[in-house]
Amino acid sequence: MIATVSDKKWFDEFIVELRLRDVLGHAIGDAVASARELLADTGQSAEEAFGPARTYAASLELPRDSGPGWATRGLWPTLLGVLAFLLFVHVFVAWAQDDRFLVSPARLALLVAPAALVAFLPLYLQAAMRRPWLLGLLLLIGAVLGFLSSAVAPALPGEAWLSLDPVPWLLGSTTSMVLLSLWNTVQTLRRGNVDDITTPLPDQLPHRYRARRAFLMLTNWFFPLFSAIILGLFLLLQR
Amino acid sequence: MTPSTQDSPESSGGDWPSDWLRATLGLFALRALEAGPSYGYAIIGEFERHGLGTVKGGTLYPLLTRYEAAGLVATEWRPGDAGPGRKYFALTEHGLDELQRLRTEWARFAEVSNSYLGTTQPGKEINP
Repeated sequence: MIATVSDKKWFDEFIVELRLRDVLGHAIGDAVASARELLADTGQSAEEAFGPARTYAASLELPRDSGPGWATRGLWPTLLGVLAFLLFVHVFVAWAQDDRFLVSPARLALLVAPAALVAFLPLYLQAAMRRPWLLGLLLLIGAVLGFLSSAVAPALPGEAWLSLDPVPWLLGSTTSMVLLSLWNTVQTLRRGNVDDITTPLPDQLPHRYRARRAFLMLTNWFFPLFSAIILGLFLLLQR
Repeated sequence: MTPSTQDSPESSGGDWPSDWLRATLGLFALRALEAGPSYGYAIIGEFERHGLGTVKGGTLYPLLTRYEAAGLVATEWRPGDAGPGRKYFALTEHGLDELQRLRTEWARFAEVSNSYLGTTQPGKEINP
């Protein structure tokens, strides 16, 4: 059977819905393979055979992770990492210019806004996971807020509401990023291959899993690595 | 075996009311596995061949996952010749016991129902 675009979309949605329900990776792989098997036999489209992906995923009784939910496990640490990274970027600019970190009420509001977006995440998390454009919009809003907070930065200490030494904030945000990355790494190692969506028949090569694991480890350290690159570039340009 | 891909339980080949099929599908699924392990498409074909109508994967698979979780069926993947492989469902001892229990109860229910439906009492008011 040739997989159509609509079937691909259906399977993508199906996997997201099963992930949202904390179904174990091997059970997701099994459910996907079962569905593909029937589609290959009948020639039906996925929607025709199984109905909406969300409804079908909800109707399956599959083994689920009994530990903390995926949001607690992976999402919160990552989002806190984003906030720590944003703070790092802001104070880094002040530190690089040998200046103090100046905060006006407007800038503080724009700095707090991304934190508020993260804090209210439980209210719209599932909607965002089901609509990739919404996730993109949130990232765009975060980027715009970050840019605006730089744009409204007070030029002179007299205009600032708060005048902070950037070094402790730089060290604090860096330490936070490293600790969160360590936490994510420990979680990745502890969970092993529980989250891997594996096919029920051993037709996938082990090196694919190793590559995926290496990529996952790299993403755990994305913010500290990116911060190190910023620092490295700055020191290089200083020469 | 070529199950129709057009109909749903709501407009089954057997033209049975969808509620009936929905209520009895569990028993029929266990019965379909009585002869030995089978897979989704073959089970759907078995239903159709016996005039029970066409059942969609979206109806059958959730039922089978519930039975697997309840220990009524066991599953095994077998490599396919060219396709993605097949998931075979097989009755466990517990599933076989459940089939016998449901079959006996169904026979009793059918007998009582037929007996009731066979009697006519025209023009008589029903009082508790």
